[in-house]
This record gives sequence, structure tokens and C-alpha cells, in this order.
Amino acid sequence: MDSLLAFLTVFTQPELLLLVGLGTFAGVYVGAIPGLSVTMAVSILISFTFSWDVYPAISLMIGIFMGGVYGGSRTAILLNIPGAPSAIATALDGYPMAQRGEAGTAIGITTVMSFFGGFIGIAVLALAAPVVSDFALKFQPRDYMLLAVLGILLVGSLSTGSLVKGIFAGALGIAIGAVGRDPLTFTERFTFDLPIMQGGISFIAVMIGMFGVSEALMQLHHVDKTAVRQKITRIVPSFGTIRKHLPLSLQTSTIGVIIGALPGTGGDIAALMAYDHAKRVTKKPEYPFGKGAIEGLVAPETANNAAVGGAFIPMMTLGIPGDAVTAIMIGALFIHGLNPGPMLMIEKPDMFWFIVGALVMANFFMLLFGLTGIKLFTKIVEMPRAVLIPLIMLLSIVGAYAVNNAISDVYWMLGFGFFGYFMRHYGYPLGPVILGVILSRLLDDNWRRAIISEREDLGRFFHGIVTSPLSLVLFIAVILIFVSQTPFWARAKKKLLGDPAEKVEQ
Amino acid sequence: MSRIETEHHDGTSDATPGGYEGQRRPGELVFGAVMVIASLVLLWSAYGISGFEALSAPGSVPMATTAVMVVTSLVIFLRDLRLPRVSGETVAKDILPGNVLIVALMLVAYGFLLKPLGFLPTSALFLIAAIKLLGGRGWFWTVGVALGALLLIWIVFRIVFTVLMPAGIVPEAEVIQAFRNLFAGGQ
Repeated sequence: MDSLLAFLTVFTQPELLLLVGLGTFAGVYVGAIPGLSVTMAVSILISFTFSWDVYPAISLMIGIFMGGVYGGSRTAILLNIPGAPSAIATALDGYPMAQRGEAGTAIGITTVMSFFGGFIGIAVLALAAPVVSDFALKFQPRDYMLLAVLGILLVGSLSTGSLVKGIFAGALGIAIGAVGRDPLTFTERFTFDLPIMQGGISFIAVMIGMFGVSEALMQLHHVDKTAVRQKITRIVPSFGTIRKHLPLSLQTSTIGVIIGALPGTGGDIAALMAYDHAKRVTKKPEYPFGKGAIEGLVAPETANNAAVGGAFIPMMTLGIPGDAVTAIMIGALFIHGLNPGPMLMIEKPDMFWFIVGALVMANFFMLLFGLTGIKLFTKIVEMPRAVLIPLIMLLSIVGAYAVNNAISDVYWMLGFGFFGYFMRHYGYPLGPVILGVILSRLLDDNWRRAIISEREDLGRFFHGIVTSPLSLVLFIAVILIFVSQTPFWARAKKKLLGDPAEKVEQ
Repeated sequence: MSRIETEHHDGTSDATPGGYEGQRRPGELVFGAVMVIASLVLLWSAYGISGFEALSAPGSVPMATTAVMVVTSLVIFLRDLRLPRVSGETVAKDILPGNVLIVALMLVAYGFLLKPLGFLPTSALFLIAAIKLLGGRGWFWTVGVALGALLLIWIVFRIVFTVLMPAGIVPEAEVIQAFRNLFAGGQ
């Protein structure tokens, strides 16, 4: 009964309701502005809400979190610039849809599917938190390492370009992620004795440069092209469209919850894995993946919002953050005298149920704000390119600078922007670079932990993999995904099944 | 791998990266060679971190990663060597046309001027110059749009999100304080 009352608190107190709504509204726009991350917004909020009561403070932060994860999809669709890393996969099919003039449809599907995925995540958080967190607890360092390798191997299926260029880009991303001082031994890596390199390279600077500046430079080739007028007459998707994609959205929501619940991973990896899953299971999409497939929007958007609920599972039950935002929220709870972890669930169950209630409310607000105001938002793409391109460049610079208030981040961003421009021209996909940077730390730390625990013995390491069912499943998945992307596999498949690719590409 | 859509040969969408299948674009070979050299330099640097000290050494993952970069960049370069060049394309026309080069130089200048000159004057100069160059409209329209957009961005970032951009020669804090005093009734 007390739990139910705590759950309903946010619905019954107008002040809390308003704060969740305000947070979600702000989150949608913070998420949509490239360079303004949800992590940054929530961390700034801590300084504002320091003196508040815990419920209003948490209400505002949860709203920002939920809205921000969704908001990144808007600029991904309209400008091919993911407002947040969790929207990288959304850009792959959302932007081609906007280029066809279907931005309104894309945003509508994205909103409804984000709402659906968000609910699945919250439901799992509420009903199965202990079970999922137990599962996450069983992951050994080698399993995390295999998970990272699995993520990097998705490079080939993330783009339609050359596999070898995708692998090069992924490896480059891992190398970029390793720049700076090694967090375990403090050894300098790839610093070339330059002070600017010692703190590492800001992931945000790489992301904005690669996706923002290089895209804007690319658009200079088409500066005289008139903008496609967006069809925004039908924003709410039809019941038939929703029903058609329900099975896929259920599968990708599950992926989202599981990935979100794994500490150190978040909506970004969940979205990429879900996208890959959709590509594999969708036999006949209306448009091919990468050219505006609706399934390519459904999968990442359900997954990244489902990952929000998932990320709260280890945070609330174990005190381990599921992602960067929940890490900051753990700090916020500490500031308010609460200790997230198993004891919080026992001593303060009302806090857990209040968070679940706030998430439900934020999800409703996300649907409301997502389906309204789109007409105004889509006007952005109808602006003359001569104005839009310099503005994107300016926003990119402000965004890169705002993360650390460091001019060096602006230089990095410009450098990666110019580099990304050439990569685009010569067929190197950019997504894997970002994926590599995200996964670099996960791969590096867990490889070293795993091999140290096996006393530096590779034989023992592989023995550990084949004797642990979980590791074995992940290892087999790594092998299968790699083999399935090689030309040998494609040739063998063609020999056995003919050439179905031609039918798909029509 | 699947085919590359020709209308996206410039890589406008990351899902359909640029380039041509079975042909090489102007400058692609040079870019490939630079990637090979850069990968070798990075591999050498990774070896310098901790050599073959231990499997758990801080240099083990960087070495493995850069080794992958060396192999893949070599494969790409050798493959490009054998490919015929795309006919009718030049670096000056299709890869680095004049307006891209000028805007890129303007961005570099922006980066260098941001700290000493400050966010507002640098951004105003950049926006006016870029919009004039790309839009080719009259000065009144160009300056009006540039300054209007800059004001909006400044309000959102500086006032709403309190992002502190370099003030440079503009006494930004004093101006904001003056406005605050004005709205506080001069108290």
C-alpha cells in the first residue's frame, strides 16, 4: 500500500507533475541540440537542485533524462546530426526519410515507439528488477570484453560500405578512446608528449566534429539545392503501422532493457544493437535499411528508451550506474542523504516506487511534447541552406566548447570535422568511429581485468570462455557475426540461395 | 557487401558512405596512403607505451587496435591501387571546391580568434561572412539574419543554459549585470 502511495505521489502533487513536465520538455530540446548532452544538463541541474527536497529534484532530473534520450532523434532525422549518441542509429534511416519529405512521419513513429519502449523499460524495472540485476551480476570482465567486441563487430552491418573500411574506422575509434592517461596505471598513451593530449580527447568533440562539421561541409556541395518540403500532415502513425511493427518493437525493447541494465552500457549501445537486430530479422522492409526503412527507426528508438528503465535497475538495486546519467543521479541521491544500492530497496522502498511513478509520468509527457510542436521543428529543414549551414557550424562550436569550457575541444572538433569530411568522400563510415570511442574503455578495462584474473595465461582465458555458458554464448555470437559479414559467407550464401539482395535493393 | 547508392557517392548519409564501388575517386589514393602512414606511426607509438611487457599492460589494447588499423589500411590502399579512376571528377571540382576550402579556412580562423576576440564578435564575423558567401544576398538581409540568429543563440546558451563562452573584448558580464540592475529597478 505504501509502495502504491509512493508510486502515485507524482500524479497527485501538481508541483511534482509540473516539474516532471518541465524537465521532459527541456530534455526534448536539450537532447535535440547537438553538443548539449543530457549528462551535462543533469549535472548542471544538481547544482540548482542541491537545496531542494529530494522528490522535486529527482522529478526534474528524470524528466530531463527521459526527454533527452528521445530528443536526440529529432536532429538525427531532420539534419543527420544525432543530438545524442543514442540517436546515431536513428539518423541512418530517419535522415533519408526526411530527405524524401517524410520528416513528420519519421518523428511520429519515433515518438510513439520511444513511448512504447519507455514503458517496456519501466515495466521491467518495476516487475523484474531483482531478476535482471541478478543476471547482470553474473557478467564477468571477459563477458563485458566480449560484449564490447560484439559491439565493434556490428560495424559491418551498421553501414552499407566496405567491411574493411568499417573495421578500420572502428579500430580508429578505439585508438582515439585510448588517448590520454591510462586510468589504471596512469601511463601516457598516444600523447606524443603534448600537454593537450594528456587529458584525452572529448568524445563529444569527436562526435560533433564527425557528424556536425563534416555534414555541414558536405552540404556546401548542395548549397543551391532547395530544401525538401516536409509532409507533416500525418504525425500520429496509423494503428496498422504500429501493429505491424509491434513484434519488432517488443524484441528491440527487450534488447534495450537488457543492455541498459548492464553497467557501463547505455542507450547508445542498445540502439545500435537493436538496429543490427532489426536488419537481420526484417526480411522485406518497404525501403532498404539506410535508405529510410521504418524498421530502422522503430528498433533504435524503442531500445534507447527501454534502456532508460533498464539503466535504473543496477542503479537502484546495486548502486552501480547503468550509464552516465544514472551515475550523476547516484551523486544526486547521495547529496540528498540516500544510499542507492540493495539497502535503499529495503530501507526506502518508497523512493524506488516514486522513481517508477516519475518515469511513467515523464514517458506520458514525452509522448505529448513529441507529437506536438513538430511543425515548428520541421521548419528548420526548410531554412535556406546558406543560413542553416553556418548556423550548424556555429552550434557545433558552441556545443563542443560548452562540454568542458575548453578551446582545445573546439580544435579537436574542427580537426575531426575535416577528417570526417574526407572519410565521407572516400567511403569510410563514420558511425563505427564513434562506436569505437564509446566502447574503447569497456573493452580495454575488461580485457585487462579478465587476463589478470587468469594470471596472464591465454590458455586459461579461453578455457574460462568455453566453460562458462554465458561467455560461450557471447563468444559464439562474436564468431558468427564476424563470419556473416565476410565476402566468403556472402559468396557461400549466394551459391546456396541465389541472390536475394537484388530484390531487396529494388 | 551491398552496393553503394550512386546519388550518395559523396557520403551525405553515413548509412550510405561515399565513394564508388569498383572505382577510385580523385585523391583517394593519397588519403589511403596517409592512413597507412598514420596507422604505422600509431602502432609505433602504441609499442612505445609498454612494448610486449604483459598481456594486461596498458599498451596491449592500443597495440592490437593499431595493428588492425595497419592491416586494414594496407588492404584498402592496395585495393585502391588496382582500381580505375572515376572519369570526369577532379579534386578541385568534386572533393575540395572553392566554397568548401574558404569555409574550412573561416572555421580555422574562428577557432583561433574565439579566445582573444570573444564569442560574440567572432561569431558575428563568421556568420556574416559565411551567409554572404553562400547566400549571395544583399548586405542588409545578410547582416540582419546573421545578427538575429546570433542573438537567439546567445540568449539560449548564455542566459538559459548559462554556458560561458569566451568574452574577449566584449564586457559581457557587465552588460548582463546592467540588464539585471535595470529589471531590478536600479537597486
